[in-house]
Amino acid sequence: MEIKEFIEKFAEAIEVEDASALTAQTAFHDLEEWSSLSVMLLIAFFDEEFEKEVAEKQIREAVTIQDLYNLVTA
Amino acid sequence: MTSPFSLEGKTIIVTGASSGIGRQCAISCSHMGAKVMCIGRNEQRLQDTLAHLAGDGHAAYSYDLSQTHGIAGLVADIVAAHGKLDGLLCAAGIERTAPIKLLTVQDYAEIMQVNTFSAFELARHATAMKHFNRGGAVVLIASITATIARTGTAAYSASKGALISAARVMAAELAKRQIRVNCISPGTILTPLMQNALAQMSDEDRARRVAGFPLGLGEPADVANAAVYLLSEASRWVTGQNLIVDGGFTIQ
Ligand SMILES: NC(=O)c1ccc[n+]([C@@H]2O[C@H](COP(=O)([O-])OP(=O)(O)OC[C@H]3O[C@@H](n4cnc5c(N)ncnc54)[C@H](O)[C@@H]3O)[C@@H](O)[C@H]2O)c1
Repeated sequence: MEIKEFIEKFAEAIEVEDASALTAQTAFHDLEEWSSLSVMLLIAFFDEEFEKEVAEKQIREAVTIQDLYNLVTA
Repeated sequence: MTSPFSLEGKTIIVTGASSGIGRQCAISCSHMGAKVMCIGRNEQRLQDTLAHLAGDGHAAYSYDLSQTHGIAGLVADIVAAHGKLDGLLCAAGIERTAPIKLLTVQDYAEIMQVNTFSAFELARHATAMKHFNRGGAVVLIASITATIARTGTAAYSASKGALISAARVMAAELAKRQIRVNCISPGTILTPLMQNALAQMSDEDRARRVAGFPLGLGEPADVANAAVYLLSEASRWVTGQNLIVDGGFTIQ
């Protein structure tokens, strides 16, 4: 999956309505839509889409959307 | 003068007695003189609770309350072995935090099965005329999440809200036999389970949670003392209520 598509799916997963403002360099923890429950939504998304088990801690430590992308495509 | 809070001579079923709030309720009831019938899943931990009870005549029954079909038999066994009941306290419960997007009907059903339907089935059979003494009391442990919106708790909150609604109706139906039914809605109580949950939160989330409680977080004994009140003669004119025990969380 290309990063562009990843960003769109990421936006859908955590329910960001306007994905056009997002880039690979966006610090996702600062997004208005980000909440403590978003971690669970992302874990479910990674599991469904990539069949990857990602730990909460890894998501907390990631900074940008690119970091998340690297987690699941590495 | 004997204390109006005494539970002397009463036989009380306590579910969830192997851990946390239920365990403390069992211990506190025993200290107030009750004979306690402890229900939980883990036999070993139930034995540990038994070892901490004051007085004698107590018993432990390990039973998975999600198996609601067997509850009638369980109650009958307890009454056959220990005599008629004077109280039922339901503290067994599970929590599953997830945003509504991830909660399936299956999740709602599983949580309701343990938190709600098992309590209804216990209340139904325990309060049967042949099993329950006149003047007895039922206490269901609900939660403040039944009345406030804490994100991630839709299924849990629904399971607890149903207890509060049904308790009012049960109270009205059972009043003619002088049986009272009440709920307790605790705020965040430092049980092993909750300490675990708090440990997993980010520092920011944890600080925010703790800051919501003007009197700080609660202890299991804070809930157990409220339960003793609702199980004793001290509350003889109180029924169908939801007693909030939350260190002031919901007044703000
Ligand atoms: N800890 C809190 O902050 C808090 C706040 C509000 C309400 N509550 C409620 O108080 C009750 C006790 O919570 P706790 O914090 O002591 O939790 P806990 O996990 O320490 O104890 C739960 C108890 O329920 C029993 N249980 C769970 N599923 C069962 C099943 N299928 N069959 C039989 N027993 C089962 C367990 O054996 C255990 O004894 C729960 O109903 C919970 O929803 C807790």
